[in-house]
Amino acid sequence: MIRTQNLSKRYGRVMAVDRLNLTVRTGTLFGLVGENGAGKTTTLGMLATLIRPSSGRALICGFDVTEQSREVRRCIGYMPDRFGVFDDITAEEYLQFYADCYHVPRPVARRRIDEWLAWVDLTEKRRAYVNALSRGMQQRLEIARCLMHDPAVLILDEPASGLDPRSRLEMRSVLQRLRDLGKTVLMSSHILHELAEVADEIGILRTGSISMVASVSVLREQTGAHRRLWLVGEASRDRWHQALRSDPHVVDYTFEPDGITVIYAGTLEQQAELMERLVKAQIRLYQFAERPTDIEQVFLRLTEGQVQHHGR
Amino acid sequence: MAGNPLLLKELRQRMRTRRAPWLVTAYLLAMAALTFGLLYESMQGQLLMLQPMRGEQVFVILSMLQLTVVLFLTPAFAAGAVSGERERQTLPVLLTTPLRVVDLLVGKVLSCSALLILLMVVAMPLYSVVFLFGGAVPQEALSMFVFQVFNVIWVAAVSVMWSALTLRSGWSTVLSYATVAWLLVITGVVGMGLQWFGQHYPIDWFAERWSDVLLHLNPLWVMATLENVVRTSSPVPPWLTYCAVYMVLLIVLSAAAAWRLRPGPGWRRRVRWARHTDIG
Repeated sequence: MIRTQNLSKRYGRVMAVDRLNLTVRTGTLFGLVGENGAGKTTTLGMLATLIRPSSGRALICGFDVTEQSREVRRCIGYMPDRFGVFDDITAEEYLQFYADCYHVPRPVARRRIDEWLAWVDLTEKRRAYVNALSRGMQQRLEIARCLMHDPAVLILDEPASGLDPRSRLEMRSVLQRLRDLGKTVLMSSHILHELAEVADEIGILRTGSISMVASVSVLREQTGAHRRLWLVGEASRDRWHQALRSDPHVVDYTFEPDGITVIYAGTLEQQAELMERLVKAQIRLYQFAERPTDIEQVFLRLTEGQVQHHGR
Repeated sequence: MAGNPLLLKELRQRMRTRRAPWLVTAYLLAMAALTFGLLYESMQGQLLMLQPMRGEQVFVILSMLQLTVVLFLTPAFAAGAVSGERERQTLPVLLTTPLRVVDLLVGKVLSCSALLILLMVVAMPLYSVVFLFGGAVPQEALSMFVFQVFNVIWVAAVSVMWSALTLRSGWSTVLSYATVAWLLVITGVVGMGLQWFGQHYPIDWFAERWSDVLLHLNPLWVMATLENVVRTSSPVPPWLTYCAVYMVLLIVLSAAAAWRLRPGPGWRRRVRWARHTDIG
């Protein structure tokens, strides 16, 4: 659905995007993550036909973004990282305007306005001026705007940036439902754990090129990010100390009121050995569970260049 | 209008602001005061006496004043048309829709001109008061009105093109007012100055030739020819030369503006100067 071949963008001496090769399969939600200045916005701008590539090519829905930009525009919905809204226009009129831009017939547009406003939970705000909506509402309205012409591909640049925690949760829910609609979504973020919760695959962008593409679980596996284990059991502190210190893969542990958090660097097999070790140490284990990895660790390790690249 | 969603949206937005009715009211009041003041002054208080010559003078002064005022107002409405979209961060999304650049530019030009044309329309009843005193005929009023509309649309179009080319409201405002200054002041003052030189010094051929060229590019002078206030020996009607020259200029600017906003396929082979000026 989206394919780039040696896509590059040069600004004077700076190579913003350097021979980027990327494939996003139909119906997947692909997250592009990278530090500020890694080239995320430039990449998405080129795919959205806004920025002219210096070299290479990109295909969306089979159309070349440079040579067939008009066709590309019809099959994408693009939401920039920083966007503005028109003054003195209601949410309903805003969506109608964009539907008209895409030549969506009026009856179809009216139906879609009702549908998408309900979908992003803004039905009550349909007659409110767009510039009077909160930032979170404007972001959701933008998603509805992107969907007005029923595009096959959505390109979302930092869709949750600048939102308060509540709006962030609402946006996450919208993104998860987008995936369920079967759309191909390419979105960028510098907040990795947010992407990890919604994306099927994640691509790490470093200085303009992809350093790794993998699913979230594979990404953790390959980067060797430390696991976080949650242990609850009955034993004296000394016995816990003795058992945990005897395992070479235990990086750190913290006693908490309800249990112990263990930072573990071992594999799944070694994790099983730890469990046996604890049992042998006569600790009555009630819980031995893996907690979600702090995905930011993965990101930091990758951007520090500590891991081998697994580019496609 | 149905084919250009941007025009409909812009008209809706512009007419919803508080500025629109206030501007129309203020303009109408000012023009009414001016008309009655001029009429009273030129008739020397004899408003019930028919004096066709004086009526025609008032008509000419009014139409020239209206053109000057409206042309100076136009950049205020049009100079930020495209650059304002960029500054408000609404331009990138517009450019990722299938909306053609020509639709975008035409929508902006017509929506910017609409309010100014409305100003001229609401002032028309004032001209009918002048007709009561004779001197001006409806055909003259009509040709004057059409010429004024042409000028407003042209200045709005040039302002929108500057806005698209510079993508900075400050710069486009400066360039738009420079264009209006060229139209009204430079061509007029230099043209009249050369004409005066031509009549008083022996470089008459050069001066007269260039004064003629410059005055043909001045809307006030061309409007005076439409109202038969000045006469010219030119075989081609001055309004035709005027419209042709400025239309050619507008086409060149429009092509550059359209290219600036969205270069078409094969752009690499054409020009490289805008490499660092991506939108967004």
